[in-house]
Amino acid sequence: MNGTIVVTGAARGIGRAIAEKMASTGPLTVIGVDIAPELALSESIIPVQVDLTSIEGPGLIRKAVDASGSPLVGLVNNAGITRDARLINLTDEDFAAVLEINLGAAYRLTMELAPLMSDGGSIVNIASRAYLGNFGQFNYSMSKGGVVGMTRAMALSLAPHVRVNAVAPGLISSEMSMAIPEDIREKMVDSIPLDRMGTPDEIANTVWWLLTPLSSYITGEVIVVGGGRSLS
Amino acid sequence: MSGLVHWVEDVGEDWAAVLAELTRAFNVSRSSAQGDDSIVYVIRQDDLLGRRGAGNAMVACGLLSAARTAALEGARKGWTANVVAFDEAERSAAEGWAHRLLDDGSVNGELIRVGSGHIGKTLA
Repeated sequence: MNGTIVVTGAARGIGRAIAEKMASTGPLTVIGVDIAPELALSESIIPVQVDLTSIEGPGLIRKAVDASGSPLVGLVNNAGITRDARLINLTDEDFAAVLEINLGAAYRLTMELAPLMSDGGSIVNIASRAYLGNFGQFNYSMSKGGVVGMTRAMALSLAPHVRVNAVAPGLISSEMSMAIPEDIREKMVDSIPLDRMGTPDEIANTVWWLLTPLSSYITGEVIVVGGGRSLS
Repeated sequence: MSGLVHWVEDVGEDWAAVLAELTRAFNVSRSSAQGDDSIVYVIRQDDLLGRRGAGNAMVACGLLSAARTAALEGARKGWTANVVAFDEAERSAAEGWAHRLLDDGSVNGELIRVGSGHIGKTLA
């Protein structure tokens, strides 16, 4: 596999693990995108600081891809936030913020970069196990369900040239999950058959597989990486 | 049981239209939840599969996920949230199923598919 891969939300957690994994596994140019002012990534990753929700954001990333000088073979839409509240208390602002970043930014970036994708390219959207429903996350669930819908529609519209799939992580050890109160987090872990949180590397491994030709006959699918939590 | 049926409108491929339709559903859902009223979202089966473009797919699949979350919250308060997905030829039947779900109250967080177009396709 040779070419350029764009990973959003690359400064930390799952996005960082994906970018580092891709940078370490082949002759690839990896562009790591984040809004964070300090993108402390490996030297082999090209950092691009951009607000994905801004009008100019997708175009700036496109310029970085053009400047890389190699064909775009992969896109990972990972950037995301949470603003949790029960539906009755959910504010207009928190609703809009989560939808704009988790879904709108991914959609607009994909529309910008899809025409650049080379034949055989692969797009991986990071959804969440919350697309199956999660208490207190009406906005987040909706955004991730939207990501699943986008994945299916684009899998159809971009076939046969580009594959589009989604990965739906469960409870992963990251900044986002560490913000959950410890007693609640422990209860969540108790309900996971594999009896632990997942790691960012375990998500990165699945994303890596979906980006490579090893998964060349898979498109339009959602792979839940959640330790069996969807069953318990 | 009281409640309302929310029919999803078609959107194009423009993100602003997608967000507007999802926001309309959010506003209706929040009001409904605040009144402890049940809700049924009515969407097109084709949109769950992404067959009518990304805009409509984002709305339909987003609402299905949101309905499942609303259902979890409603379960504690005695109201329900469900989704009816219909094939185009079965649009009128969808209305009946939506009201049946509101009247019954024993089904929660469920997707009812009206028609046969979903058979053999991916589970939503």
